[in-house]
Amino acid sequence: MDLTSINWAAVGIALSGGIILLLRDWRVTFPALLLNYVFVALLLTQQPYLASSLQIGGWGISAIVLVKLITGVAVTAILTLTALMFSREYGLEDLDEFSLAELRRAARRAQRQGVEPFRFSNYVVAFWALVLAALAALALPRLYPILPSIAVDFSWYWLALTGLFTMVVAGDLLKIGLGLMLCANCIDLLYTAHPHPATARIEPNGLGVYPLGLLSLMAITLALGIAYLSGLLYGRLKTLELNELYKR
Amino acid sequence: MVYLLLILFPIVMSLSCFLLRRHSHMTIILAVATTLTQIVLVSLLPTDEPARLLGLTLMLDPLRRLFLLVFLCVGALSFLVAWRLPQGENFVPVGLLILGMIGSTLLLLQEPFTVSLLLISAGLAAVLAIVDMPTGSPLLVGRATLATALKYLVLMLVAALMMSMAFVLIDISEPGAVSGRVSPSHLILGLFAVGFGLRLAVVPFHSWLPDIAHDSAPMVSVLVVAVINITSLLFLIHTFQFFPDIVAENERGMTILMGLGALTAAVGAALALAQTNMRRMLGYLFVYNAGMVLFGLATTTTLGLTGAVFEALNQTIVVLLLFLCVGLLELPDGRPSNVVRRDLLRRWPIAGAGFLGGSLALLGIPPFNGFASKLLIYQAAAERGGVFLAILLFSTGLALLALLRMARDRLLGPSEHMPEEETPILLGTTDLDRPFARRLEGEPRGLAFLASALLMLCLLIGLYPDPLLATITDVIRGLTFIRI
Repeated sequence: MDLTSINWAAVGIALSGGIILLLRDWRVTFPALLLNYVFVALLLTQQPYLASSLQIGGWGISAIVLVKLITGVAVTAILTLTALMFSREYGLEDLDEFSLAELRRAARRAQRQGVEPFRFSNYVVAFWALVLAALAALALPRLYPILPSIAVDFSWYWLALTGLFTMVVAGDLLKIGLGLMLCANCIDLLYTAHPHPATARIEPNGLGVYPLGLLSLMAITLALGIAYLSGLLYGRLKTLELNELYKR
Repeated sequence: MVYLLLILFPIVMSLSCFLLRRHSHMTIILAVATTLTQIVLVSLLPTDEPARLLGLTLMLDPLRRLFLLVFLCVGALSFLVAWRLPQGENFVPVGLLILGMIGSTLLLLQEPFTVSLLLISAGLAAVLAIVDMPTGSPLLVGRATLATALKYLVLMLVAALMMSMAFVLIDISEPGAVSGRVSPSHLILGLFAVGFGLRLAVVPFHSWLPDIAHDSAPMVSVLVVAVINITSLLFLIHTFQFFPDIVAENERGMTILMGLGALTAAVGAALALAQTNMRRMLGYLFVYNAGMVLFGLATTTTLGLTGAVFEALNQTIVVLLLFLCVGLLELPDGRPSNVVRRDLLRRWPIAGAGFLGGSLALLGIPPFNGFASKLLIYQAAAERGGVFLAILLFSTGLALLALLRMARDRLLGPSEHMPEEETPILLGTTDLDRPFARRLEGEPRGLAFLASALLMLCLLIGLYPDPLLATITDVIRGLTFIRI
């Protein structure tokens, strides 16, 4: 088997997306998200129309790819900081006695639950979702080829499917956030990697500056939104578990 | 320059209001002044004169101008409502941000990918408003509210994903972009159906709308249902306008969309009938209305499209009226919050009348404004066959039944005001020993006046719809995908 014919960026996207879908611990999934952004940037560097426009330490790199990398670092940093210190304190002095009592009850409930022990059964649904996503992502580029390269086609299908399945199997808010970020990354890849009709755009390759800026801004504000909701949820229920949110 | 001002001014003012958010009255004054300035700017802008900015084309046609003006008026009024009915600490800055994004969206409708990103950004801002609490609130944000915000966020991102895929497919299926590929118009329409279905709350993607109506502050619901949703509808119309092949190559697909519209109207009305909560019932009535609008749009005839666009315009005004009245009807009246009051029309006569009138307008009952637009949709349905007309009329009947049931249960009941018993004055009783006379406050005058004015506006448009209809019909006749 010729290893040089393998698109390692696409393999990296597949592995990092798979880890995010399958595993639960944010200490593993957040670095995987960062790697996902790095591999997407690597995949974009292979596109012929994204010419190197900057020189960094003797390396030529496209400004668009650099923006994607910076976005990825910013998003991962926001989510990691959220996971490290998501406790948002309410203005306790404003709350009435009923609200304070409810907060105390939530804290007791969260304390009782403690840390969930490792069980293989918790990963069964995620595993089969991963298998399903893999089958679909391998089949769809052949059935509905959209982009010129099969590796890019596989990558965006994979990002969309793993993102959607991550949200479906998510047990906590941060995992939902990871699913959302994978979907946002998919939109980004789809827009940047597809051949644009180069008509009346500001970039010679047809990519518009405004949509590219908005894509990065959307990813960062999405991460900030997830961080805000996580803080709010933890402040309210003293946990990020979604089953607590839907308890009556 | 004016275009740049229209985009950036509300965003900059939103940041200023965010910094001043603890001074709620000052931020409201700033926000109203900003929206009034925007209204003047939009009124002065020439229509159909495109301008270029950062490689993008900005333009305002008469229809977009009409809707932008209505949205700005709705925004300004919702800020004024927040003066008396607190909507959340960050409501004003977030509202201004949403209005800024919606203004940009309407100016940039010929840039579909950018617009889909702007709409998801507006949705993200709306999420922050949904979970917001008024300054110094003694209550915790509700679990249901958090769940609603999360649901809305996820569904809107999925909608953006579907739309992006569709626009990329459109891009590559353009002649000359990629040779040798078959135009995948069916797939594109399918992706649009899911993407816009999620945004417009079409069955089976409707569940977020009743949740938002129930769990978020009334004026936040107005921004989501009346401003963001209707902008999505305009976006869909312009998408068909710029890519008419999607409609031309999908005769059967458009019939399926009509069926989906009729189904949405029927399911929305049936679910509204099952509700006991006023806000949830309203949410399902909006789902019913989304179905009617989608049906009118999917007919792709002048009648149907004019009806759909006019209905969307009417809905914008009616949604503001209905949520304003809901806010007034929910004002505390000295009873425990878990006691269901059944004489709301007697207790709050103007808000009660506004709620009833607004609901009738939403259902298209004469002489309110919804009648003229619904009549056009019914005519379009009659042209497409009796079955569609029967389903739409049946749905309206169900929705009317739901409204009557709610009116009987919550509004029209006998007075629950208990006259105080005369206690005999005993020897040695002083004034301090006697219970205080219970004084119930009346409706806030300013808001009651606003509700009356909006109700009058609904009546006025209903009795004399011609000027608005003429503007809308002119634009609709110029659309490229209309079936003659």
